[in-house]
Amino acid sequence: MIKRVEINYRGIFQKNLGKKIGSDIVIIASRMGRIGFSNGRYSDSPERNGIPCKYFAFVSHDLSEEELEAECGAKLDIDQADISVVLDDTMVKGVEPWGWHGVRAINEKVQPGGTLLLSTKKTADELLQFIGKKPYQWNIATYEGDPSFGGLWVFRDDLTHERTLGAVAGIDPDIIGIEAVEDYLRYKNPKEPFRAEAARKAYDEVRASKRTVNPGEGIEWTHEIPVLPKWFEFMEGAAVPAVKRHFEMGPKGQSRNETFKRGTTKTQRPVVRFDICTKCTLCWLECPDECFDPTTDGLYDIAFEYCTGCGKCAQICPVQECIVMVDELQFADNSSPWEAYTQNRENYVEWAEKAKSKGRYIHPFVTGTGLESVQGEVVPLGGKRAAQTGKEG
Amino acid sequence: MIAEEPKTTSVYEREDLLTGCQAVSQGVRLADVDVIAAYPIRPYTEVMDALSKIIADGELDAEYIIADSEHSQFEIVKHAASVNARAFAGSSGTGWCYGFEALVVTATDRMPVLFLVGNRALDDPGAFGVEHNDAMAVRDMGWLLAWVTTPQEALEHVLIGYRIAEDKRVRMPMALAMDGAFLTHSQHMVKIPTAEAVRQFLPPYDLGDGRLHPDNPISIAPQVNEDWVMELRRQNWDAAKRARGVIKEAYNEFNAIFGERYTSPYFTEFMTEDADTILIGLGTVCAPGRTACRRLREKGEKVGFVSLRWFRPFPTLELRESLKRFKAVGVIDRDFAHGSPDDGGILMHEVRSALYPLKDRPAITNIITGLGGRDVSIEDCIRMYQIAQRSKTEDKLDDFVTWVGVRE
Repeated sequence: MIKRVEINYRGIFQKNLGKKIGSDIVIIASRMGRIGFSNGRYSDSPERNGIPCKYFAFVSHDLSEEELEAECGAKLDIDQADISVVLDDTMVKGVEPWGWHGVRAINEKVQPGGTLLLSTKKTADELLQFIGKKPYQWNIATYEGDPSFGGLWVFRDDLTHERTLGAVAGIDPDIIGIEAVEDYLRYKNPKEPFRAEAARKAYDEVRASKRTVNPGEGIEWTHEIPVLPKWFEFMEGAAVPAVKRHFEMGPKGQSRNETFKRGTTKTQRPVVRFDICTKCTLCWLECPDECFDPTTDGLYDIAFEYCTGCGKCAQICPVQECIVMVDELQFADNSSPWEAYTQNRENYVEWAEKAKSKGRYIHPFVTGTGLESVQGEVVPLGGKRAAQTGKEG
Repeated sequence: MIAEEPKTTSVYEREDLLTGCQAVSQGVRLADVDVIAAYPIRPYTEVMDALSKIIADGELDAEYIIADSEHSQFEIVKHAASVNARAFAGSSGTGWCYGFEALVVTATDRMPVLFLVGNRALDDPGAFGVEHNDAMAVRDMGWLLAWVTTPQEALEHVLIGYRIAEDKRVRMPMALAMDGAFLTHSQHMVKIPTAEAVRQFLPPYDLGDGRLHPDNPISIAPQVNEDWVMELRRQNWDAAKRARGVIKEAYNEFNAIFGERYTSPYFTEFMTEDADTILIGLGTVCAPGRTACRRLREKGEKVGFVSLRWFRPFPTLELRESLKRFKAVGVIDRDFAHGSPDDGGILMHEVRSALYPLKDRPAITNIITGLGGRDVSIEDCIRMYQIAQRSKTEDKLDDFVTWVGVRE
């Protein structure tokens, strides 16, 4: 019997957290007399900020170390997971680690009867609106948490690590048992009993929240794997042809790399108030991924499939409340915001204000205390001055 | 003679979850290395991260020098060894190649430095995945070269490596090779030996009259010409031959302290007792290889797997004795040798050469696979067994080399 756990995490920001959880699963299993080993998906490295990555833990009761290694080792990825942990719920929109993957479903590896286990503040029903359906029964479970983002060398000490261990125990005690989790956390942190308590709380939460997902429940998910050329089908000399330059005004008017879009990197996305934009061009200039498309009315549309959610546009925009980063899950798809705005300005602005009020995040720097969800200022259509004078700015 | 009580009842002090790189760092700590020269390159780099922390935590007293490149890195440890400091360095892929001049002279100067080679594909284009050509590049130069497949083995081979390399009959640098990603970055539970047990096994490094010191006036590597080179080469050649015997001794000594960890130093055999067909390979390809072997055995196929550990010195006699029992040998190369005889891989040439003197030779076939870190699956290995099995019934194969896993 082999148990496979994969931990989906955001590259760099959750790198240490993902590894810590994977390692601790093996250490706790080992303390229970089980055999285990762990590794990361090597091809995820070098990690880029926010790119979806995976860490793995393998546990067995009956196989020897050598047999478990032989079955599960020396491989880049797994084929099936007993538990697929998701440390940032925005990954339910799909994960595309590198160009040869295509956009994959977050639950792709969840086996029949396996569980997608999410750290989230949303409900399973809300998240299932984004998750691909499967032809068999599987499970979904949630435990409370914000996306816990840290820096390159440390992870944020906000108990996500402890809660995840408790949650894994709650799904399958054959991987690790909750008593063993509590015991380990108390042993490592004898002066901090709240850690073991956090694990137990998540354990209880998960046992209550876990529910079956029926075949066909979820959305249609077409996973297109890019077809890579055969060895004799591409240029020799390790050279590749570049993306041909092309430009026209309007949405998606610029030529971009059609194969690798990187849009699944983002945990947050800019909401733009086109009505109060001063057309200063700074967002278009500063975007490191060249996501802005100039439009015929002097505004700048965003090609969201390419946006990585870095937040530079929000930082650089000189107009208050014009560009605001919000939770990625506020957006149903990658359709053109400018087109939505030009079709119906009032509806668009109303939607924009609602999005800004619900899921606006401030990610503090590494030394900060956690994720803040902040209520901003509501700006009426056309700007504050327009509301006063009746003229639009 | 009265038998002595063992000094310690347990030779291990604790267990920890370690990657291959971290396990090597523990071996380096236990070997009480004096000088470490570091330069970053994935995937070997983590050993240097781990060592810097070990030193900062006061667990090892060593000079830790960050070099400006691999060439300097390797020169630093070569010189450290020449003044009788036990030295450690390492690299991967293109980094290993960057310092190649220094690697060659380390061997010709007979300096017993130990290097971790985190096997990585050679540039260009840059790729991080495993390929064996980097470590293989020193195979003709008078180096010890061995592949390990688990973190436990990696830790132990730092100790075994220094023991053999520093032996006065050997005095060769050692490349300890480890598959990038699959071993460097894979975390397993490792038993860590006690310092006392290691002290019993590994004597201090002593160059004797070969060390550079004001009280020992010698020159190392003055200019020579046709009058000296051949004799110097002959000295190295002999040392490599003697190393085979020293290897056996070292493992016997190791087993005496740590229990029968290694019954066969040069290679491990898996399910070979009554096998017809075997695959042989280096590194972590033994993982899917053994699983494929198990699955085929369940179906009644007589197959086995040989995991080669020591590549230099090559265990010619032992391997010949072992492989002559089989009808077919499939050699797995996670490396390439473009334009070589029959266009085969490096290991294939070595194995075929070792089998040449036999009157009844097994059929040989070659598989090139897993380059640049491409997955080698269990199904791939089953296919390799089938390719090897075919080779025994056919007189002439159309394709002596099969590339398994390439898009074609």
